[in-house]
Amino acid sequence: MTFLRQYRDLVQLSWRSYRDFALMIGIVNIGFGVGLVLGFGYVIPDIPEATAMFLVTGAATQMIVTVGIVGLPQVIAQAKNEGRLDYYFTLPISREAYLLAQVTFVLMQSLPALALALVFGAWNYGFSLDMDPLIVLVVPLGVLSLAGLGVAVAVISPHVQLTNAFTQLAIFYVLFFAPVILPKEQLPLVLRHVADFLPPTYVADGIRATTTNLPDTHVWRSMAAMAGFGVGSFALAAAAVRRRG
Amino acid sequence: MPVLSVTELCKRYRNGTLANDRISLAVEPGEVYGLLGPNGAGKTTLVRQVLGLLKPTSGSIHVDGVDVVADPGYARRTIGFLPQGMMTQETIHVDEWIYGIGKLRGLPGAEAHQRTNELIEQLDLGPFRKTKMAAASGGVRRLAGFATAVVGGARFLVLDEPTNDIDPVRRQLLWNLLMAQRQRGTTVLLVTHNLAEAERVIDRFAIVDQGRILREGTPAALRSLVTERLRLELTMAGAFEPHPALQPDEGMPGSFLFQPSDLASVSAWLQAQREAGRLLDFRIGPPTLDDIYTHTVGGTKSNGAAAVLGAAK
Repeated sequence: MTFLRQYRDLVQLSWRSYRDFALMIGIVNIGFGVGLVLGFGYVIPDIPEATAMFLVTGAATQMIVTVGIVGLPQVIAQAKNEGRLDYYFTLPISREAYLLAQVTFVLMQSLPALALALVFGAWNYGFSLDMDPLIVLVVPLGVLSLAGLGVAVAVISPHVQLTNAFTQLAIFYVLFFAPVILPKEQLPLVLRHVADFLPPTYVADGIRATTTNLPDTHVWRSMAAMAGFGVGSFALAAAAVRRRG
Repeated sequence: MPVLSVTELCKRYRNGTLANDRISLAVEPGEVYGLLGPNGAGKTTLVRQVLGLLKPTSGSIHVDGVDVVADPGYARRTIGFLPQGMMTQETIHVDEWIYGIGKLRGLPGAEAHQRTNELIEQLDLGPFRKTKMAAASGGVRRLAGFATAVVGGARFLVLDEPTNDIDPVRRQLLWNLLMAQRQRGTTVLLVTHNLAEAERVIDRFAIVDQGRILREGTPAALRSLVTERLRLELTMAGAFEPHPALQPDEGMPGSFLFQPSDLASVSAWLQAQREAGRLLDFRIGPPTLDDIYTHTVGGTKSNGAAAVLGAAK
């Protein structure tokens, strides 16, 4: 109960501390998600329905990945830079509750964009979403599967610019070298094998399985993989924040 | 049993810097203990180890007899902390910030509200209650930070430069509140550069430099180490011929040192200067913590310190 109360109070504190910016970031995220979906139509005119589904769900996956390995590390790196991270760690609170609250806060800023990207994409390309209630588990699992890595990088990195460089590299990978926007078959063999060991592959699979009727998707397998990555990455993050220099 | 007991504490960073070198000190219950020293002296490193943010290379730290190197959670539950850095909390209001930290310190919602309201009144923060932290002045942020350190009712406070940027009136409110806390038995570790103010509130202090404690004791005991001479601070209208007993303190313009036995004749001279319209203001007092500090650490005021020290010899 203490953990949950601290988690709730920390989410509230984060929201109150950044409510004006959170709204702006939420709006920018909506522009990013909808813009990405719209842009696919310019790159590939007359997109076939299955391709449109793949690309739109890829854009939604991109939003989730961005929460875990861009938004979150930047929030943590900024907190570290300003001394807030140390300050919170002098309070009698669970550090895991603090991390989870930051994950929640960043996710709150991206959820509207994620939903709008899917709805707008379906409308724009004329296909129907086939929603599975398990989406409510897939999204947080997807974020958690990546969040720990993002937190660990932000905490361990000696400089905020290094954190930013890492996040850009990660996004670059997800955009062009992972089976998120591109079908796995189009990737070189080595990248296909690499993809099997990285969370974005399973986040994309889970999103496709719970929002479309695309073939060859695996909701339970992807959720199990994301849960596994989540446990591992959160353990990594917890170790990073428990580290005393 | 001391509230804080530090024994033979050493901290060497990975780059080889020895930030704390065999520091030992004990802070007794209800005591205000000052930690003085120049930038880079090792004060912050010491505080960070007490708070469990850094692990000592060797030595021990006990809070209430509990080994907080092994159990840093005890330090976090026990200590109310005000950091030196000005954290920007952006859009949160002053009262929301104090209330939020109160809740994180374990207060139930109603009690956190009550304590927040009390502190806002005691620190005269009422006009800034709904000011966003990012828009508040440095002094208001500092006071709100102080409120967050005490809101949870911590029995041990670690305050790093608590009065920075605060106007004189509210600074006095803060000291009054701190004194009230002490009377209730709260122990305080006070890190400061503001020696003149610290002198009024601290029971004992340590001067730290290059990772070591150079001096430790009460202000009165340490003052006696420096000199028995009195200090006269003068503001005159134009040039003047000083009394023969006055020796200029080269490190502090307008400041002179003289023997207590010359007090009567110096007073008569001051009266004559006033009647002649040359004296605008003056102040006579014992050596300050500044003198002790400068004498101990050395540094930019070394001329003045040398003058003071010279008289002591």
